[in-house]
Amino acid sequence: MSFTETNTKMKYLSLLALATILFAFACEDDDDFRDDQNVSTTIEFRAQYDAADLAIQSATYAYPTGAELKTTLFQYYVSDLTLIAADGNEVNLSEIELIRYDDATADNIEERTYDVPSGSYTGLRFGLGVKPDLNATDPNNFAANDPLNENEFWNADARYVFAKIEANADLENDGTFDTGLSYHMGSDALYTTITFSGNFTIDGENDPQIVLSADVLKALSDGTNTFDIANPDQQRIHGGNQAIATEIWGRLASQFELTLR
Amino acid sequence: MQWAKHVFGVFLLAITFGCQMASPSPAAIPEPASFAKIIYPEDNPTTEEGLALGKKLFYDPILSADSTVSCSSCHLPALAFSDGRVLSVGINGRIGRRNASGLTNIGYLHQTLFWDGRANDLESQALHPVAAPNEMGGNWPLLISKLRRHTDYLPAFQRAFGLSEARELTPDHVGKALAQFQRSLISSDAKYDRVQLGEATFTEAEKLGHAIFFDLADEPKPEFQDLPTGECAHCHIPPHFTNQQFFNNGLDEARSLEDFKDAGRGAITGSVYDNGTFRTPGLRNVALTAPYMHDGRFATLEEVIAHYNSGGKYAENRNANIYKIGLAPDQAAALVAFLHTLTDRSFVDNPDYRQ
Repeated sequence: MSFTETNTKMKYLSLLALATILFAFACEDDDDFRDDQNVSTTIEFRAQYDAADLAIQSATYAYPTGAELKTTLFQYYVSDLTLIAADGNEVNLSEIELIRYDDATADNIEERTYDVPSGSYTGLRFGLGVKPDLNATDPNNFAANDPLNENEFWNADARYVFAKIEANADLENDGTFDTGLSYHMGSDALYTTITFSGNFTIDGENDPQIVLSADVLKALSDGTNTFDIANPDQQRIHGGNQAIATEIWGRLASQFELTLR
Repeated sequence: MQWAKHVFGVFLLAITFGCQMASPSPAAIPEPASFAKIIYPEDNPTTEEGLALGKKLFYDPILSADSTVSCSSCHLPALAFSDGRVLSVGINGRIGRRNASGLTNIGYLHQTLFWDGRANDLESQALHPVAAPNEMGGNWPLLISKLRRHTDYLPAFQRAFGLSEARELTPDHVGKALAQFQRSLISSDAKYDRVQLGEATFTEAEKLGHAIFFDLADEPKPEFQDLPTGECAHCHIPPHFTNQQFFNNGLDEARSLEDFKDAGRGAITGSVYDNGTFRTPGLRNVALTAPYMHDGRFATLEEVIAHYNSGGKYAENRNANIYKIGLAPDQAAALVAFLHTLTDRSFVDNPDYRQ
């Protein structure tokens, strides 16, 4: 092999090496890379009791009838969480979420993060409960760790539990929280679509904090009408026994608040 | 000399591939359509070799300090992998802290394990008993040393996990093998399942118990209107009859949350509000897994039903669904009859699960 031949081969090898390096670096993930199309956006689901942060078990809450409560569980399903864009398009962020507060050591905020196309938006919409087509589908059709496999399924007739409020009440003000309250609600008839209007822009720069708040007390009492928790027939709502649930459900569905900060 | 280059190349290839351990073969474990599929960990798929190794380990007392106690000492197939004792018994007759749970469909329980949820998955759960003083009483370094020198186990681990050298064998591989075997323990042929499929019918007592268990009095059907609601299925939800969560089901009175003799979940989370709460056990094959509760305090299912019928004892974190049910004696008996329909003889007699 002559010197010239070797030199030429070396040149090609160098070019090949350079191209390989360029290719390798061009294909590497870049932590600084920002997708101009989608912005990681978090929606906060806040739970409250009488406008204060909900504390599971650790707080004693006054009930309008004079009783006191310790809340042990508050949860609800959210279907088709959707942002409404200024151009009329809709961005479906999630088909189903279970928002659950049952841990005394956790705060009152459940966060969900989605990739949202940058742009201007005029509102947010979701269904409170499990939307009818999902409600008609048995849990075994979903992955074991799907929100619809969180063991919130009554049976083939009654279907999924859309929302739960559980508490232990001290009705006699004797310091013992010995009356269990267990309100489990859900049926296709109760499924409610909730829509909020509000202009905001998501561009990755000055994105708003999007907060959806729900208040346990407001579901039980609107200040004028208060659910009678002392009535033994109203201490448990389960399964197909949804006639009594309508009152709580109606208030629960109407009290959500959207805050853009 | 060209031929010599080719021969050398073939030689190199032969050495390269010849030195590689054959990959373990994926195991096809059938699952019933009525269950959401088992979530297999990406780093521990079940293989023929891993499954066989896990089963061998499960029945081998080599895992205990004095080679007297195996996993199967407290998890007997004939008792749906429970042991019939109030509390489990370890080496030298040492009494454990809690009742040994059955293992029916344990692979479907993808959340925490143990009565207090101290293990996040089957792989890590399997590591606990080996070093627990009241169970197998051993220590991991010694056990791993033993397994690395073992003429049967070392090649079995190598085949199951593609290990090339003995020093690569760690406790994680023991946990993974045991987890693979436990994930194979699937029960879906109880009378309850056959009724769901329309292949069998409940007796009158079983039907009554089923209606009470699932609160059918809440349904608009007139047939069950006057029945009490058992409130069982809030926590014991099909198909595995557990919601995998932690509750205080009213076993012990506690005027203060600090008063519980066994803090249960609270000892793991450090939260006083979790004191006295325990993981809801699955009820498949429950008629075979007496005695009941985390401390085995109830000898029979009749005693369990009597407890729930009473509404349990006071603590401010007692679950809101525990209250006096008002069962008549025949209704309590019917609930027990229904629970017997969760027994799956084909599961407990399955030769694949036995030694």
